[in-house]
Amino acid sequence: MPTILINPLDETPRAQGVAAPRLKTLEGKVVGLLDISKPGGGVFLDHLERLLRERYRVASVVRETKPTFTKPAPAEVLEKLRRRNVDAVIEALAD
Amino acid sequence: MIEIDDGAPYFSLSLLDGAHWSFPEDAAGKPALFIFFETDCPTCHLTIPYINRLAQLVSESASIVGISQDGEEQTLTLVKRLPILFPVLLDTGLGVTRAFDPVAVPTLFLVNAAGRIIRTQIGFNKQEINEIASAIATAGGFEPPMIAEPFDGNPDRRVGCVSRHLELLGEGEEAEPLGLYSKRAAHASRLVLDDSADAYEYCAQAFADPLPVVPPTVERVDRMLSQTELDPTEIIAHIPPNYGAATVEKIAANAVMAGCAPEMMRVLIPLIRAVCDERFNIHGIQATTHFAAPLVIVNGPLRHELGFASRGNVFSNVARANSTLGRALQLILINLGGARPAEIDMSALGNPGKFSYCIAENEEDSPWEPLHVELGFAPSRSTVTLFAGEAPSGVSEHNARLGETVLKAIAASLATVWSYRLCAMAEAVVVICPEHAKTIARAGFTKQSARAFLFDNTGVPLKAYQNTDGEGVQFVRAYEEVLIGGEPCYRKFRTPESIKIIVAGGTAGKFSAVIGSWSTGSRGSQMVTYPV
Repeated sequence: MPTILINPLDETPRAQGVAAPRLKTLEGKVVGLLDISKPGGGVFLDHLERLLRERYRVASVVRETKPTFTKPAPAEVLEKLRRRNVDAVIEALAD
Repeated sequence: MIEIDDGAPYFSLSLLDGAHWSFPEDAAGKPALFIFFETDCPTCHLTIPYINRLAQLVSESASIVGISQDGEEQTLTLVKRLPILFPVLLDTGLGVTRAFDPVAVPTLFLVNAAGRIIRTQIGFNKQEINEIASAIATAGGFEPPMIAEPFDGNPDRRVGCVSRHLELLGEGEEAEPLGLYSKRAAHASRLVLDDSADAYEYCAQAFADPLPVVPPTVERVDRMLSQTELDPTEIIAHIPPNYGAATVEKIAANAVMAGCAPEMMRVLIPLIRAVCDERFNIHGIQATTHFAAPLVIVNGPLRHELGFASRGNVFSNVARANSTLGRALQLILINLGGARPAEIDMSALGNPGKFSYCIAENEEDSPWEPLHVELGFAPSRSTVTLFAGEAPSGVSEHNARLGETVLKAIAASLATVWSYRLCAMAEAVVVICPEHAKTIARAGFTKQSARAFLFDNTGVPLKAYQNTDGEGVQFVRAYEEVLIGGEPCYRKFRTPESIKIIVAGGTAGKFSAVIGSWSTGSRGSQMVTYPV
């Protein structure tokens, strides 16, 4: 007789998201830098911002910070980035 | 988002009874409050009861109208369940949402009699709800009512969820609600193994942690389900970070795999609710590189009813109840929450507690009230408490005659929790063995005064901060300076309550333990206790 098991794994149905279109160049783009608020994140992102401006000639850099690194970014933080019309966001952590 | 002083867009939408409600006509020259909400947004669920209260108090002088961003069926379910006591409009197609363009839900728009926006509020905020009530009362010429009391058990403010129209998928599509608060899911699928398959091997490959599991056959899962009156398809919680639906049936299947006795279902249901309590933040615990694992502490008569061990070897392999409940929780976190090691669970060193981490308090050999009684539960109630903890670290003290000496040994261990120079962040569970508890109590300490002694005597000498390189030195301005035994120190803990005391372990052996926390408070994980 075959053994019949109850599937113990996650079977929650999910809508499929679509990835945002990829940028062909960074030149002239608005780039968001999202700091997840770990110590040292600012040091890393300052350096990244300098590289983006000097080497990749982005139009501007928008900085935002999550209130805590232990939880997902709240809607307000993402909305602030959206409202600044960023072309791309780099989320960066550090310690 | 439309702003203060903008004219509110005109619109007409269906009420749940099929009638239409139109703005400005149906506002009838009075102020109107529009509440945009989603049916699966916890912050909306938190906000709506306050709006119910407001709607009842000001129904004569303002129109309070909810605008649901979800379909009729989900909206109707929520209206009945919460309940919602004000009219609710269905924004099918999200046209009105786009016109108002709220950033998040809930968003409240207060519109004056002239049709201008005079206040907006995003997310949940008690003070702003009271100010909205006050603005409506002032316009209506009556005394402003108190709608949201401070200290009523709910937070002062909480962020909302992204508005449905901003959940962009492909061009022109909106996300379906995840159904985070829907009550039912589909039955679990059945997996048919042919005669040649070894069920143990199959399960070990397909859904275990690296230890073997009991195959969750239909018969075994049915026996587990026979111990609960809940429908197998009822969703108890969604397990972060993947938010897999933990139905009663899925919980039962994982409990079978962990080797639980069927009676354990009555503990697992509240335990799964507790682990998904937002204060506990299992999302972060599951994903952190830190050691944290959920430690389960069982209190009350349940310990004897289901055979939980609270004496010797309490942290290890002594009782089926402890070992299988802890393991069932871990399997559920992995199989339904997705916290697979090296995928989502990125802990640097891990924690042996991730196989099973469940103890019971030794209430019988404790001179003090047990944890659940300290937290306000009756002694006859049973509870499960969850703490995001590291592995236990031993405190051996065999020669102390005085209670203070034992407590100072524990304090020295507490001072190193997280790392020695980081203060005012970590918390700790102190597991005091019965022999130590006796010595401490003999010196006249109550549980509270023992905790106060630990709080006052746990610190880090200021001289440790002369080297300004390293963790903990950057926050010294926030630390409290105290004298401990004449030595200037920074106080280790924020509050006495940061130290949680329980008594557990065998009656022979002077070995207590300190369990350090992960990140704590509203920015980390808070200990939660649920009745069983």
